[in-house]
Amino acid sequence: MISPPPERPAAAAPSRGRRQRPGEAGSAASGWERGRLGPARRLSRALAVPLLLLVILEAYTRTAGRDSDALAPPTQVLQALWRALADGSLLVGTGFTLGSAALGLLLGGGLGVLLGIALGLSARAARIGFLSIEVLRPMPSVALIPLAMLVYGFGLRMELAVVAFATFWPLLVLAQAATRQVEPQLLEVARALGLSPLQRICKIVLPAIVPRLFIALRLGVAIALVVAVTVEIAANPHGMGYAMSLAQQSLDPAGMLAWLLWIGVIGYGLNAGSMRLQRAVARRMEGQR
Amino acid sequence: MLLEFDRVGIHLGGREILSPTSFAVGQGEFVCVIGPSGCGKTTLLRAATGFVAPSGGQVRRLGQVVQGPSRDVAFVFQDYGRALLPWRSVAQNVSLALEAARVPAAQRPARIEQVLHTVGLLPHADKYPAQLSGGMQQRVQIARCLAQQPQLLMMDEPFGALDAMTRESLQDELARLVREQGLTVMFVTHDLEEAIYLGDRVIALRTGPSAQRPSLAAMIDVPLPRPRNQLATKEDPEFLRLRRELYCYLGHD
Amino acid sequence: MKRWAWLESPALLLALIALWWVATHGQWVSRVFVPTPEATWESLAQGLGLVPGGGDGAGALVDFSAATTGRMLAGWLLASALGVALGALIGASETARAWLQPSLEFIRPLPASAVMPLAISIFGLSGGMVLAVVAFGAMWPVLLATVHGLASVHPRLREVAQALQLSRGEIVWKIGLPNALPDILAGMRLSMTVSLIVSVVGEMIASQPGLGQAILLAARAFRASELFAGIALLGMIGFVSNAALAALERRLLRWQRP
Repeated sequence: MISPPPERPAAAAPSRGRRQRPGEAGSAASGWERGRLGPARRLSRALAVPLLLLVILEAYTRTAGRDSDALAPPTQVLQALWRALADGSLLVGTGFTLGSAALGLLLGGGLGVLLGIALGLSARAARIGFLSIEVLRPMPSVALIPLAMLVYGFGLRMELAVVAFATFWPLLVLAQAATRQVEPQLLEVARALGLSPLQRICKIVLPAIVPRLFIALRLGVAIALVVAVTVEIAANPHGMGYAMSLAQQSLDPAGMLAWLLWIGVIGYGLNAGSMRLQRAVARRMEGQR
Repeated sequence: MLLEFDRVGIHLGGREILSPTSFAVGQGEFVCVIGPSGCGKTTLLRAATGFVAPSGGQVRRLGQVVQGPSRDVAFVFQDYGRALLPWRSVAQNVSLALEAARVPAAQRPARIEQVLHTVGLLPHADKYPAQLSGGMQQRVQIARCLAQQPQLLMMDEPFGALDAMTRESLQDELARLVREQGLTVMFVTHDLEEAIYLGDRVIALRTGPSAQRPSLAAMIDVPLPRPRNQLATKEDPEFLRLRRELYCYLGHD
Repeated sequence: MKRWAWLESPALLLALIALWWVATHGQWVSRVFVPTPEATWESLAQGLGLVPGGGDGAGALVDFSAATTGRMLAGWLLASALGVALGALIGASETARAWLQPSLEFIRPLPASAVMPLAISIFGLSGGMVLAVVAFGAMWPVLLATVHGLASVHPRLREVAQALQLSRGEIVWKIGLPNALPDILAGMRLSMTVSLIVSVVGEMIASQPGLGQAILLAARAFRASELFAGIALLGMIGFVSNAALAALERRLLRWQRP
């Protein structure tokens, strides 16, 4: 006997941004049922704690911490950042880091996706490759910095190589998982229609995994940036990481913190951008379905 | 009077869900509340427990206005799976109620055992919720509520998500429990037969109340003898008469 | 045919090693960059003290591995403890979360090694500096996982806590943290990876004894076989630590699988 669907009392369903219902105080729902704040209030709340810390830092570095090699007043940091922008070094450094990260991601991530799709489509290939992948994957990408240094010296190729290695594995794993999750019936349809393997990949598999690929891309972008900056701090005398390292070694705390702030901004921006891209793609794909 | 509803009204999203309703529940009574979707029966139960405050009127328990949840009132949720801690075993889930009540650790095992024995889950005391069937999970929740030794047991369509056979056996178990322990129960359901079978009194609510047709459509005593039987009681002419009388209140009028 | 299927995977691995052997012996790649497999093995065996000989380098790899692993584990434990503690404090309070979440989201994409120059100016070039950066970098996955896990407690459980009148502390300890445990363990695994990476980088930059410094020196001296031996060891450390953690995770989360 099918019972009619149970009544759904509004109080039991979690909802964000719902106007506060009367008498809701003290209910379990009150935490996330607080009314939606306007964007201006939300922004000011987000900035409140950081601004407070900056004010404290400014006060400290102008008084007790005046001669510190590590800290500098935030106002000086901003000035240093502005100077770097004005003399072009900001753009050069950022360009190098982003460039090597992008090229490395394209190379490593691209190969990883292709191989991942291949392994996802063929269970046999996945089985055969399992051990080799499990042996090579745990190698930390930073361990390859000295090797890359040995082979390429310093410069773009060395950094690109390490980024490529670092982004290859996660994108391989994610692409393989995404491909394995493609509706098996779709693949049967492809076989029934007599599509060639290439057509199968292009017309069925790729469109099906695109949303997941963009999620993987988001991860890849984050890893690429982190690895690129790490290579620059550890060895490669180019890019944002090196500029920051150099500032520290020259006992220029304002410059060092300026670069640190800039790296944070770039990282945040890339993350936000790729998340927005990924969401837009997901929405577009959902709409098509 | 254990529980008094004094002109309790509920507004949600700007609409009146429940018009001011008054009734009382006496000690040891089993009151069932039925009604179609949207009549506010679950919200009424939650207001009586203290999860929400009513928009108008008051709920009083033993003369005191209900202002929030209390350990004296045990609430059995319909989605039993979500109300149990999946990382704790059956016994540990029951123990949560005792821990909350600051029962000394030495006394807990005995009380847990007793309560599990009452609901018939003693052999499964060390299993995790994921290993249990729906009916058993619901019994764990009931066991935890019993461990609270509550004055009042509030049940929100507790058997709604279970299959018919499990539902019937749990109904009988609940009736037996309530009788043995002398509990006072407020039981919300959309199943008319269940309400008549279990209750001493059935309250029927309407959706979309207005001045001429308030939420409280009917309040009917159920004079059927106890202990009740799934077969015999449901063939009793009195049962059938009550069923006919209340049927029209389930959104058919 | 099926019976031999399990051999296919090791077969590929051996084939790759064979390819490596041919490439180096056949001069497809210079031995300056890529050592022969047997040279790598020799460096590895000597460095681990498995074979006699090897001069004063014998057994050195054992010390380096111990140093790096010790650093990684210490940093990871510290990071996990701090991450859970701070995460619990932030996650337990709606207001704290509302005010701090945006700042946390800003710090999250920041590379852990990026704070190393700052740490150097504060702590100088020392093992303590590396440990501090490791702990800082590895803390975030655990912290964010804890905050998220605490926030994702199902409303039904919150109501159960209310009905039982659990105290705030009890709610965090008995419901919030256990609920967050799957997330926390996943975060701790990520933390371990970060911890290894930052330890190695730290050793390279701050010239602290360990595998990081060892392979950097090997590269500078063009000793390819030692470089590869060190890389292989780092890979093993990564593999073993991840596998151990995965096993622990499975044990602790038994209740998820009936």
